[in-house]
Amino acid sequence: MDPIRQNLPVLLDGLRLTIQYSIVAIILMVVIGLVAALMRLSTVAPLRWIATAYVEIFRSTPLLVQLFFIVLGLPAILPVNQWFGQLTYPILAAALTLSLNEGAYVTEIIRAGILGVDRGQKEAAQSIAMNGFQTMRYIVLPQAFKRMIPPLVNQAAQTIKDTSLLAPVGIAELVYKGEIVIAETFASFAIWGLIAALYFVLIFSLSKFASYLERRLQVDKR
Amino acid sequence: MINVKDLHKSFGENEILKGISTHVAEKEVVVVIGPSGSGKSTFLRCLNGLETATSGEIEIAGMVLTDPKTNIHMLRQHVGMVFQQFNLFRHLTILENVTIGPRKVKKVALAEANKVARELLAKVGLVGKEASYPDELSGGQQQRVAIARSLAMGPNVMLFDEPTSALDPEMVGEVLQVMKTLAIEGMTMVVVTHEMGFAREVGHRVIFMDDGLIVEEGVPKALFSDPQRDRTKSFLAKIL
Ligand SMILES: Nc1ncnc2c1ncn2[C@@H]1O[C@H](COP(=O)(O)OP(=O)(O)O)[C@@H](O)[C@H]1O
Ligand SMILES: [Mg+2]
Repeated sequence: MDPIRQNLPVLLDGLRLTIQYSIVAIILMVVIGLVAALMRLSTVAPLRWIATAYVEIFRSTPLLVQLFFIVLGLPAILPVNQWFGQLTYPILAAALTLSLNEGAYVTEIIRAGILGVDRGQKEAAQSIAMNGFQTMRYIVLPQAFKRMIPPLVNQAAQTIKDTSLLAPVGIAELVYKGEIVIAETFASFAIWGLIAALYFVLIFSLSKFASYLERRLQVDKR
Repeated sequence: MINVKDLHKSFGENEILKGISTHVAEKEVVVVIGPSGSGKSTFLRCLNGLETATSGEIEIAGMVLTDPKTNIHMLRQHVGMVFQQFNLFRHLTILENVTIGPRKVKKVALAEANKVARELLAKVGLVGKEASYPDELSGGQQQRVAIARSLAMGPNVMLFDEPTSALDPEMVGEVLQVMKTLAIEGMTMVVVTHEMGFAREVGHRVIFMDDGLIVEEGVPKALFSDPQRDRTKSFLAKIL
């Protein structure tokens, strides 16, 4: 009997979760990264300290340990399962931990993008009486964004790969389902090969889409 | 229009402005000259709050810039600034460069902002370039757009920091011509420049700065032909 064909629905179910977690984490990591980058560049010292601590903590510990700590460790000392629900808490915590981890890298990407914009642009904006928000929103960020696209796409690809670390904390994504199927069928080679191919398709289409997007931006705006 | 009293500015330990006091009357054109590093740019940047004075008082258009309670964004609407490097917004078209200030800061409607911008671009001689991007323009054209961008905010005072220093020689004239027109129309202007012809012809008064201080000031003709101080003499001897 063909182990792949028979178990394909189970694997595709895992793939669906992988895609869902990826999309949520990619959106959240950009939002978190933008906020933290602006905090790191703020003139208010405590905001800088908080953002720096966040980035350093999440970049200097393994994602897997972060996931164990927050998804499995936290319920041991806090009644989070009661607050959020026994079934909901792991889902929320896993998505948020993944987003925070990726967001730490995105923070640095966005910060570098903002700092890469010529200082004269900001001064010109100030000289026509724009406030800090307007200067960021209309002058600095649009110029920073273009140079941030390639590293952000890299990070998005990394995020998709990192969702595989959700399996050990009990999220039934692609790798998790794969392990279940292998336990039943022993078709280790075929199943892992198929899983690798599925990740490849996901990430390859993401980078193709990204270079299409980049070309479009190049033509429309300079 | 501008009143400066005992302006000091330090960067860390390094005192750059060491007590500048001067007054600029309405419709007056003041030209600031002096050796590189003497603090001319720092002085100009203090006048629109790009640098914060260490001590002293600056009053512009009835507002005290050095008073912490003064709304700096309100004040900057009255003080235009033109930079040596133009600093046009590179991601925006020429028209958008001129309209973005009125639209976002003054909340002027798009149609009205576009109308005013087109008039200003015509005034600086750039009809037909509205849809171009800054990179597609020559330096002289970019600087004229930068002047239009400042004028779009309706300033009472215009500050120019070496507006022609980054230009190829053949483009200097077109920018100076626009500035001269502004002066004739009665704009109050403070101009840092090495263009002595412009200073002589358009300036009402010349200020010579050296080492963070005003060494000497006077009407252009007198200051150029009969400088009183040795430092002024040696500087003029070098550049005239
Ligand atoms: N942001 C700054 N930080 C430290 N030093 C500065 C800064 N801006 C200017 N300076 C110093 O102040 C001095 C005067 O500079 P500036 O006002 O640009 O002179 P000028 O325009 O007359 O050439 C220079 O020695 C310069 O290095
Ligand atoms: Mg200078």
